[in-house]
Amino acid sequence: MSIRLKIISEMQQIAREQNITLPPLDDDLPLQSTSLDSLGFAILVARLEDELGRDPFTIADEAAFPLTIGDFVRAYENVPA
Amino acid sequence: MRSILVTGASRGIGLSIARRLAAGGDRVIAVARKRGAELDDAIAAAAATSGEIGFKAFDLSEVGAIPAFVKELRGEFGPIFGLVNNAGIGTEGLLATMHNSQIEALVRLNVLSPIILTKYVARQMMADRAGRIINMSSIIATTGYRGLSVYGATKAAAAGFTRSLAREVGQLGITVNAIAPGFIETELTGNLSEGDRERIAGRSALRRLATPDDVAATVEFLLGEGGTNITGAVQVIDAGNTA
Ligand SMILES: NC(=O)c1ccc[n+]([C@@H]2O[C@H](COP(=O)([O-])OP(=O)(O)OC[C@H]3O[C@@H](n4cnc5c(N)ncnc54)[C@H](OP(=O)(O)O)[C@@H]3O)[C@@H](O)[C@H]2O)c1
Repeated sequence: MSIRLKIISEMQQIAREQNITLPPLDDDLPLQSTSLDSLGFAILVARLEDELGRDPFTIADEAAFPLTIGDFVRAYENVPA
Repeated sequence: MRSILVTGASRGIGLSIARRLAAGGDRVIAVARKRGAELDDAIAAAAATSGEIGFKAFDLSEVGAIPAFVKELRGEFGPIFGLVNNAGIGTEGLLATMHNSQIEALVRLNVLSPIILTKYVARQMMADRAGRIINMSSIIATTGYRGLSVYGATKAAAAGFTRSLAREVGQLGITVNAIAPGFIETELTGNLSEGDRERIAGRSALRRLATPDDVAATVEFLLGEGGTNITGAVQVIDAGNTA
């Protein structure tokens, strides 16, 4: 499964667990508009680290969290596992 | 078998916690810089029980190495159900004459390190939707003691961290509590004179000092069924010293 698909399916899984409905997850959708809250993102990052063996937000020099779905996916694609 | 990570488990309170949990059937991952003869004995004794104690050498003040350390633990032991942030130092000193490097070392090991360790262990607990976290505070967090201002600040930090984190991770089924022991006889309080010890015991409602095993029993309780609906709490264990 591609990293993108993995991320999208994890987001959908967390949305189901939290009983929320996600809008279409287009690349330019701001993360804020996904209706996942900060805890939802924390769970997402934790599960992705488990499954992909990487956590781009620990090794990054700058502490900025991505703004859009596209930025989020690229953050995962651009780190070595 | 549940895995419980206990920091500072080579002696003192942490060792008592490791012994008791292993006797109750848990797998304890004991962390300290050096293993030591007492822990060797406890590891051997645990082999005869339904539990076990495994040792991992790690210097918790190496904060930058914590993420990789937690990853390694996960690989070796699988999901971690409980985290007991017990390792700590109790450097005494009048603030005016304490060296800045001592102040920094105290804050690093007692505050920064358990917070970062908790960050990485809690993330795994979040993915598993279960877990128990216990932080070691002290009665010094709420009472004053000459020569322990920096230590007291670090132990108050543990209580504050506990309450807010409990709010953050509660909906995921993770509990976060703190234990605030009074004076417990260990190496950390070893330089207390006989007179001081008697004075502290004499001031306690029960006229004695609490023991490392008293703290261990409370840890066991909080990790067990009895702790299911306890979170954000600070349990004092001081034989009534602050009553
Ligand atoms: N004793 C008391 O009266 C009392 C009262 C209130 C609260 N507390 C708290 O209870 C906790 C345990 O105290 P204690 O009296 O049991 O202390 P202790 O007897 O001095 O033991 C400290 C433990 O922490 C480990 N440790 C120290 N520095 C470390 C480092 N850099 N990396 C990894 N491990 C390290 C030590 O092993 P190594 O040296 O081999 O690393 C040892 O296992 C502390 O947080 C303390 O503040 C104690």
